Amino acid sequence: MEHHLKEFYFFSEFLNRKVYHFAGETLGKIFDLVAERTEPYPLIIGVILRRNRKREAYLPWEKIQQIEPRLLCSEESLEDPKTLHSQKEIIFLREEVLDKQIVDTYGAKVVRVNDLHFLRVDSRLRLVHVDVGFRGLMRRVGWERMMDKILQWLFSYVLPNQFISWKYVQLLSGSDLLQLSVSQKKLSHLHPADLADIIEDLSSRERSAIFRALDTETAAETLEEIDPKIQKALIETIPVEKASDIMEEMSPSDAADLLADLPEERAEKILEGMEEKIAEDLRELLIHPEETAGGLMTTAYLHLPPETPVETAMARLRAEAPHLDIVDYIYIVDEEEVLQGVVSIRDLLTAKSHQSLSEIKGPRVVSVKLDEDQKEVVEAFAKYGFRALPVVDEENHLKGVISFRSVLEVLAPDAG
Amino acid sequence: MTDYKKWISASKQSLWRTVGLFFLLMGPGIITSNVDNDAGGITTYSLAGAEFGLKLVWSLIPIMIALIVIQEMCARMGVVTGKGLSDLIREKFGAKVTFYLMIGMFLTNMGNAISNFAGVAAGMEIFGVEKFLSVPLSALLVWWMVVKGTYKTVEKAFLVACVFYLSYIITGILVKPDWAHVFEQLLHPQLSFQSSEITMLIGLVGTTIAPWMQFYLQASIVEKGIKIEEFKYARFDVITGSVVVHIVAFFIILVCAETLFKHGIHIETAKDAALSLKPLAGKYCTYLFAFGLVNASLFAASILPLSTTYLICEGLGWEVGIDKKFVEAPQFYGIYSLMIFLGAGVILYPEIPLIPIMYFSQVINGMVLPFVLIFMLLLINDKKLMMNYTNGPIFNFIAWATALLMIGFTLIFLFLMI
Repeated sequence: MEHHLKEFYFFSEFLNRKVYHFAGETLGKIFDLVAERTEPYPLIIGVILRRNRKREAYLPWEKIQQIEPRLLCSEESLEDPKTLHSQKEIIFLREEVLDKQIVDTYGAKVVRVNDLHFLRVDSRLRLVHVDVGFRGLMRRVGWERMMDKILQWLFSYVLPNQFISWKYVQLLSGSDLLQLSVSQKKLSHLHPADLADIIEDLSSRERSAIFRALDTETAAETLEEIDPKIQKALIETIPVEKASDIMEEMSPSDAADLLADLPEERAEKILEGMEEKIAEDLRELLIHPEETAGGLMTTAYLHLPPETPVETAMARLRAEAPHLDIVDYIYIVDEEEVLQGVVSIRDLLTAKSHQSLSEIKGPRVVSVKLDEDQKEVVEAFAKYGFRALPVVDEENHLKGVISFRSVLEVLAPDAG
Repeated sequence: MTDYKKWISASKQSLWRTVGLFFLLMGPGIITSNVDNDAGGITTYSLAGAEFGLKLVWSLIPIMIALIVIQEMCARMGVVTGKGLSDLIREKFGAKVTFYLMIGMFLTNMGNAISNFAGVAAGMEIFGVEKFLSVPLSALLVWWMVVKGTYKTVEKAFLVACVFYLSYIITGILVKPDWAHVFEQLLHPQLSFQSSEITMLIGLVGTTIAPWMQFYLQASIVEKGIKIEEFKYARFDVITGSVVVHIVAFFIILVCAETLFKHGIHIETAKDAALSLKPLAGKYCTYLFAFGLVNASLFAASILPLSTTYLICEGLGWEVGIDKKFVEAPQFYGIYSLMIFLGAGVILYPEIPLIPIMYFSQVINGMVLPFVLIFMLLLINDKKLMMNYTNGPIFNFIAWATALLMIGFTLIFLFLMI
């Protein structure tokens, strides 16, 4: 190849350009570029040419002799592109990336690709950025220079490119989602709440593709944050066993709400696939109507007998914290599970290690009844300012605990 | 809402189940068809009856078939792909084509937005309110309602007010037309190639099968998250909606033909069009008509600019959503506000003729329709995209024929203009 080459190229500079043979005849127009999935930046390995409306041919990149001013190639006998389709390590850039929506895992949002940006290394090109800005769009339309002139003349302003590094690009179509290891690495940049927002922005097909690519724990955390209607649709698209695994990891109150929305048969099957203890808790939660205190509560909290020493309580809390929804309080119950008192984490930290829980508990305990309306629960939260409230039945047996998060969902269902 | 759903899916009796499911999924088609009868629609149908009597009433039958086919295609694409129409166009045809199409849609729909504010102006003039007061106020109202998110609650009020169309059906029966003659006209196509008739025909198609409504319908179907197993209900909804539009259109034309056309009254202002309701409402007919016109205009004026903004931003990849802040989605709020305030601003120009604006915006709709239709056809026959849900030969034939006929009529129209 010649030496007066640019350092960077855009896809739009190749798209629809004619490729000539040395003898002078036209081989076809560039329809697509093919890249090999190399880390971190894919390498362009060839071009797909269109000779007329239907016929496509593959031209390996090594055969291209010259890029400027004309695309020249030495080979006349071209390959059939069909053989490429079976290879997993290949991305068709137009078919899978250009004009498509992608997830920008750095900015945590879904964006549309206007152009692709290549870096030249010797005589090869590597895909380094996707262009999602207005400048890229104008370049595609063919108005880039005109826009530059107008902006320059009016405001002395040059519109910058808006690039996203390929490292942070998660594709939504084609082969990328089948490559689980790749997807997970990229998606793991994201907070589950951001992932949930992204999933909500996608079409149903893309949603389930992304969701399937997540590991069980991330899937559970993400699912908790998703709109209930979409939650339901997602859980219905995955196999029952996987649904059981994911919902085991979810907070019991969220899992119970979701189960209640599912058709009974399916909910039952999912419960059957779970660990027995969790399934039992969930069944209990399911009995209570959604808009009562019972429907808001979770069973993932710590409860201990009154004589437990602070030392032991701390150790238990430390050991179980990863699986608890409520870590701010420990609930004191007797052998009959009757609620005796509450110890906050602050009480625990300021107490001496040999004291027992009943010694350090607060003088009174505020609780709500199982069938209390959620409006009253919200009021109790506002009035007492606790981060969680215990729920008891008529005989004061502790049944569950409502976290502040559940109340927030009642108060502002659309926020976040 | 969820309780309802549970009750319905638990219900053993299949009839209740079916009826219940239908009402749950009802909406997109019915709403779309009611928005279809906007200011431009009422005006075009009234003009068709007043200028040509029953001569063009036959066209409603082929238009209805085409509308059913086209809307069914949109609904099917929405259900199968889960994406909006402009999304699909962008992904299949690329940035350049999409960009020009979006400019085209913006200009066409700007015409529709202007037409709806013309409807407000014309209706409120009958109530004695100057357009310099009514139009800016309604523009602010619509803008505020949508941006503040209170629109969804108001939508029901708009829908209920659509019973106004019943007044045309009642009037149609009251005037005791010669039904044998009406049906003969309905079943015997006739067309002389005069420019006024060709224009009216393009307008009738354009107002009934407005291009923007296909984007709107598909978006609503996607938003509802209808699954492919539930598609038959959505299909029924779409067909019901299309039939309802045509019953209303038929009666508007019939009433105007029996009242205005017979007495040789030409529609120059909204007051003239209102006279058609005289057999029903007597001297109050103008108020009745004005009420209906203003409701229809406001209804469409709140949906159309928003839907246009959505489709443009989706196609060009800009952030959308009224839950976003201005700095997060500047293009979205920019285009939306421009459509409303420019649309209203044009109407404030003194002495601007309101009826022709409402009419010709619909003619432009008709001319733009075939382009959108061709994109739809190429998309829906893409096996990779639609899998087993591509068009059958009959649907393809009807849709292609509609597109080609509209191109043909447009060419004849342009030829006759020269």
